[in-house]
Amino acid sequence: MENQEELKEEEPIKVMRTTSAFDCGGRCPLRFHVEDGRITRIETDDYEVKEEQLRACLRCRALRQYIYNPKRLKYPLKRDGPKGSGKFKRLSWDEALTEIAEKLKKVKEKYGNSSIFLATGGGYQAAFHDGMLAMWRLFTQFGGYSTHYGNVSSEGAVYATQTMYKSPFVGHSREDLLNSNLIIMWGWDPARMISGTDTIFNLIKAKEKGVKIVCIDPRYTDSAVILADQWIPIIPGTDVAMMVAMAYVIIKENLHDQEFLNKYTVGFDKFKSYVMGQEDGTPKTPEWAESITSVPAKIIIDLALEYGKTKPAALMDCQGPARSAVGELYNRAAITLTAMTGNIGVHGGSAAGGLMGIPYGHMFFRAGIPPPKRNPVEDGLKSVRGSLDLNLRFQARCHTNKIFDAILKGKDGGYPFDVKFAWFVNNNFLNQLGNANKSAEALKKLDYMVIADLWLTPTARYADIILPVSSFAEKSDLTRPWPSGPYFTIANKAIDPIGECKSDIRIAEELADKLGIDEFEKYPDEEKTLKFMLKMTEDTRKEIKNFRKFKEDGIHRIKFDEPYVAFKKQIADPENNPIGTPSGKIEIFSQRIAELNDPENPAIPKYMERWEGRYDPLSKKYPLQLLSPHPKSRIHSEMFLVEWLREVDPHIAWINPIDAEARDIKDGDEILVFNDRGSLTIKAWLTERIIPGAISIFEGAWYEPDENGIDRGGCVNTLTKDAYSPGGASTLKSCLVEMKVFERGV
Amino acid sequence: MQVGFYFDQTRCIGCSACAIACKDWHDIPAGPEKWITILYNEIGKFPNLFVSYLIRPCYHCEDPVCIPVCPVKAITKREEDGIVVVNSEKCIGDEECNSKCLKACPYDVPQFGPEKGAKMKKCSYCLDRYLKGKLPICVESCRTHALDAGTLEELKGKYGDIKEADNFVYSERTKPAIIFKPKKKKG
Repeated sequence: MENQEELKEEEPIKVMRTTSAFDCGGRCPLRFHVEDGRITRIETDDYEVKEEQLRACLRCRALRQYIYNPKRLKYPLKRDGPKGSGKFKRLSWDEALTEIAEKLKKVKEKYGNSSIFLATGGGYQAAFHDGMLAMWRLFTQFGGYSTHYGNVSSEGAVYATQTMYKSPFVGHSREDLLNSNLIIMWGWDPARMISGTDTIFNLIKAKEKGVKIVCIDPRYTDSAVILADQWIPIIPGTDVAMMVAMAYVIIKENLHDQEFLNKYTVGFDKFKSYVMGQEDGTPKTPEWAESITSVPAKIIIDLALEYGKTKPAALMDCQGPARSAVGELYNRAAITLTAMTGNIGVHGGSAAGGLMGIPYGHMFFRAGIPPPKRNPVEDGLKSVRGSLDLNLRFQARCHTNKIFDAILKGKDGGYPFDVKFAWFVNNNFLNQLGNANKSAEALKKLDYMVIADLWLTPTARYADIILPVSSFAEKSDLTRPWPSGPYFTIANKAIDPIGECKSDIRIAEELADKLGIDEFEKYPDEEKTLKFMLKMTEDTRKEIKNFRKFKEDGIHRIKFDEPYVAFKKQIADPENNPIGTPSGKIEIFSQRIAELNDPENPAIPKYMERWEGRYDPLSKKYPLQLLSPHPKSRIHSEMFLVEWLREVDPHIAWINPIDAEARDIKDGDEILVFNDRGSLTIKAWLTERIIPGAISIFEGAWYEPDENGIDRGGCVNTLTKDAYSPGGASTLKSCLVEMKVFERGV
Repeated sequence: MQVGFYFDQTRCIGCSACAIACKDWHDIPAGPEKWITILYNEIGKFPNLFVSYLIRPCYHCEDPVCIPVCPVKAITKREEDGIVVVNSEKCIGDEECNSKCLKACPYDVPQFGPEKGAKMKKCSYCLDRYLKGKLPICVESCRTHALDAGTLEELKGKYGDIKEADNFVYSERTKPAIIFKPKKKKG
């Protein structure tokens, strides 16, 4: 019992500086207070320049309830009931790895290496202990494996930037936002989705400096709450129609930067012909766009004029709207607008493209122990490097959002393999890919499945063997932020592993022994390996000279003389620094795409309706568009069991009162949300903050089907489709549903 | 002397990092005991909206009404800095006294755990940190730098003396030790 009147002097405690290795995009300095081998408190960055502190968000503030959660897996487990029953019994590491090794050898002998499938996700973002790198290496040396292609988060933006810039590094240092005179945040909510630790505060500083900020989003996001001078709600999936209409106004008013377009781009004339209606007879007027987007023509005109006249202006698209059937077209149209207004390569501008990364200290450049040779299963196939032809990607692989369809159907379904053995690591894919019910069905039918995880996730429930993995607090590793920085961080081992947990690299090393792969190189000395890895990559080799100091500080910051600006060199001196595309210019028209001859994948960005949008005939049966934004209190499905986080962010569906009234739904009611793929229950939150005709459920809640097949956990992917756009974007936001009262609230 | 908080309502995104940092620092389990909460306000009709967040720690009032109502004098106001503290050992529990402090407080600050006869606990302005010259953990945790703390005099010097904010009613009776940059409705 505490008496605040008489506080005792506390014993001095050890403070360890570290970071997380989560899949969040931020990489925030943390200070763990460690007493008697236990983390007792957590503080964040205490950098002397307060305004530049990289302060952790609520997720890492709750880390103790993650690391010490009683539901963490502590021992290897073997299935002890039907698949999916969640019944498991404990076994030793030796028993578990012996069984797995025997199974692997049998599958290899009987079906060949292509029937061994490796499913990897982004759940652990660091250099050394990463299970994806470890298993790539192990399975390559075991004779090969099948796997998947496509980043669930960002593939639309990746495809767009590869098409137009041939580079994913389209971001500016975040402080460059202060050099802008107009910021358009288009489908971007960095108050929840981190986008780099320093992003939200720099936006605040820009706003307070007087920069006008416009937010275009079907939801009035928490970012919009503090930043938006103007909120423009838009029907989901129709962003490109509004962008194209803005282009129409800019061209009509002769506000486009023809000199910039001539010098740095190819194909504007073709885009112009489409926009003005010469190509298809339909001028893409603001009135045309109003009928599609619901955004009044006057608002489109005003914004287009303002964007066309204000220099510099930053059009900030993101990745969410591209996570749909529209996919890459959203980012391609945004890039086209930034080119038309000459805002690329200049301070305060933006190259758009949604990825926001800068090429310094970026996660893409992290160190890692690569496989010593190419995966034998993919050996001899045509190179996919730089290709925009998705079919090349599928020579030996399936799309990530088709993993479970591929497991279910195999070669009979047109996939390049029949899966007999699957290893899941760093992911909870049943929960996080489209169509969870189908995924569960696939996993029930899968011959044999191993998963390495910290938790008995909805995916892990279907495994034959579960291997318990240590958290980033239980090992040391090199970490990096991904979209912004620049800085390098380190995750320091603060405590011993919980129970019998091991890191993925150790699991791979021990399994290599069981498989008799003597040539599998081992790295028993963690510290020595991290020092070696700092030498592996050019940027850390140059920047970090003193490992001891880096380890103690937990962070190494890089100072630039001025904010980094994407494509600055290419714009300032194009002769010597051409854009990486075949034409050497920003490709508004892509010859590479034209050659694919796919009418669904146009060579210039166009508005296309595709499927499960507002105007799909299916909307008669399922009239609501389902949005599935990032949650503020989880990293996707990670941290779902942390009570501190759940109590500040209860799982609720955003519903406009107009849609609620039409169905007699009241605030707080438990509702059933459903379509042909499944149904889930969730509490209704009536709010004016969402456009009518849409419902928003934050992704990442855990799938929990009851005896009637209703997902009582409210996992949004019970409703979404396992499909991808022509550019490879996972189409999780093209999803039509209906809802009704399930249980009246009290 | 009186210490207090500054809250820039125009910067608060309602993320609750402060609330979780508080629970972590003071080792409070998930549940009803919350030393700082975030209040939500939404006004208007789509698409013309106004939304605000407001922090609710203990405002360490200059004239705390919780003190005189406590039957066992478990709550005191420190003379040297004005921090209102509770001796939970003295508190006789919410059942025994019918939560008199909670009923008196205009801001529902006194907190009780889920157990029967729970003793009152509340925000102490992170007294342990304050005595070491540190800011309250909520202040240091704020990603958007919406919070500050210090003596009221210092805070007024830095930020002015605005006592009103959206969703907040200044109690003339208790004089809460907080000043604001309020979020204002447009038009």
